[in-house]
Amino acid sequence: MKMKAAIEIESLSKTFRSRGGNDVEAVSLLNLTVEAGQVFGFLGSNGAGKTTTIKMACGLVQPTTGTVRLNGYDVLKQRGQAMRQIGAVLEGTRNVYWRMNAWQNLLYFGRIKGISSSGLLKARAEQLLRELDLWERRKDPVGEFSRGMQQKVAIAAALIADPPIVLLDEPTLGLDVHASRTVQEWIVQLAKERGKTVVLTTHQLDMAENLCDQVAIMSHGKLLAHRPTAELLDLFRREFYQVRLRGVVDMEKNGVFPGFAASQENGHTVLSGEVGDDMSVFDLVERARTAGMDLISVSPGEPNLEEIFVELIERAEETVGQDGGLERKAGHRPAGVRSRG
Amino acid sequence: MMATGTVLLNECQKRLIIMWSYRFNFMLETFMIGFLFVGISFFVSGGRPTPEQMAPALLGYLTWFYAVFAISDMSQGIREETQTGTLEQMYMSPLPSGLLLAGRSVASLFISTGMVALVGGILMLALGIRIPVRLAGAPVFALTLAGLYGFAFFMGGATLVFKQVNALGNLLTNMLLFLNGSFLTVERMPGWLEGFARSLPSTQGIDVLRSVVLDNLSLASVWHDGSLMWLTAHTAFFLLAGWGAFLWGERVARKRGLLGQY
Ligand SMILES: Nc1ncnc2c1ncn2[C@@H]1O[C@H](COP(=O)(O)OP(=O)(O)OP(=O)(O)O)[C@@H](O)[C@H]1O
Ligand SMILES: [Mg+2]
Repeated sequence: MKMKAAIEIESLSKTFRSRGGNDVEAVSLLNLTVEAGQVFGFLGSNGAGKTTTIKMACGLVQPTTGTVRLNGYDVLKQRGQAMRQIGAVLEGTRNVYWRMNAWQNLLYFGRIKGISSSGLLKARAEQLLRELDLWERRKDPVGEFSRGMQQKVAIAAALIADPPIVLLDEPTLGLDVHASRTVQEWIVQLAKERGKTVVLTTHQLDMAENLCDQVAIMSHGKLLAHRPTAELLDLFRREFYQVRLRGVVDMEKNGVFPGFAASQENGHTVLSGEVGDDMSVFDLVERARTAGMDLISVSPGEPNLEEIFVELIERAEETVGQDGGLERKAGHRPAGVRSRG
Repeated sequence: MMATGTVLLNECQKRLIIMWSYRFNFMLETFMIGFLFVGISFFVSGGRPTPEQMAPALLGYLTWFYAVFAISDMSQGIREETQTGTLEQMYMSPLPSGLLLAGRSVASLFISTGMVALVGGILMLALGIRIPVRLAGAPVFALTLAGLYGFAFFMGGATLVFKQVNALGNLLTNMLLFLNGSFLTVERMPGWLEGFARSLPSTQGIDVLRSVVLDNLSLASVWHDGSLMWLTAHTAFFLLAGWGAFLWGERVARKRGLLGQY
């Protein structure tokens, strides 16, 4: 089934000129399509270019080259229409007026977003505040709210005009577990129940793994991978193995399993790691035997997004300049794994 | 248009709400500004200010008040909003940014007018100063303010690009108080200074305003002596240059990613 594209990014680049005279290539020839109705995770280390990309999609930063289309509207050439497609909460900043209360903020931003009917605006504001459990406190200045409540107001303000696309740059940054969970639940609801496209960036990879239908991993302004989350996990599943040994084995000493992480569990040693291209599971078993280790089991591990992320980033660092990353890796996979894409 | 009205009201409402949250600071500032006027008048007149002397000074002083507001709104105000991220939210509006800028200015104008009425009213009552209301003063006043706002737009554009212009804004605001002819008439300045003072926003406006409001000259006569013409040209220049500078600032800020904090 061909899905409708909510965001189409084509050959997008941004080079900032720093005051020292150095050029920083924050985003480099990025091509990316986000399908409508999905939760899309945009991942990458600090400085990877996520915020810059999001700001270009919001028309706040002028690209050096390339285009962004929001539901088909070019952000630069059809600004007005494009802006009607999005609501955004940007990273590390207030986004709303702390001197005004939640209600006043929502009405203000609603009008800024071009809602001309006062009745409609008030109804939407009320609905959002009730859903976010802020209705009782709508008359208190946002500056007096907790961090979590402030973030909820910022999200509500981004949603006031009911835009089909929502961009959230680190929406759970600085939130406690409870507040973060509320925001996450709401993100899922937005996509699943209201058909909105949600793009989020985060450094909490477990959250991305749970929430996102698709993830894109960026490094140094370039895309390393862009896959449905499940597929990405699958792609790595066959390479991750868990080896269970009886007793406490000092991994530092014997060096049988290079690159494997060790942990202790009920008097057993559990090793988990990647079986490289030059080694098979049988080699693994063989090595353990010859080293005289007491092998209990070898089983395929469950890689998580975090491990894959680290792996991809490391690989990209190794192959700077080459076309590293996932595609190189995917070439080694059995055909069945890729054909799902 | 519908949208224009909504935007203007929206901005005014926002400004009033925020101002109200700072009401104690505001009252203190208002008091200070009134007090400053009395103090300066006292010194300038060698300790014996008369209502007749103070009328032209007050006219200039109240105009300066507008300048204080307009400039601080465009420099400090915009700078604060880049830091809170609300400016970026504004720039994500589907409405043209020029309309939002106009909304900002109208809100600032509206609020300064309220303050000026308050401070001016109290001073006039307390000191027995009389400033007659003359219709001919209205267009001159409007031209003066338009020039001031043009200058404020200029500062706004500069603030978007150079985050440090705050200090310059303060300096200029203070300089204006002494150079716009409120207390020291420009005619009494040395030639080079007079030329500089007259090129600043509001100086010429205050001069013409006095002729029309206090000396009861007709618009025709101030046009014929060239002073109104100079004011018109001056205002047109500031408005165009200011607007242009703002657009330039916006463009550069988008290029360098300066609409938000970086
Ligand atoms: N306005 C700017 N001027 C100059 N350089 C900038 C600007 N904005 C971003 N950069 C640079 O561009 C690169 C990408 O930054 P960006 O903020 O997009 O990264 P990010 O992926 O969002 O990182 P983080 O996870 O830390 O938020 C960085 O090297 C950053 O220093
Ligand atoms: Mg970022």
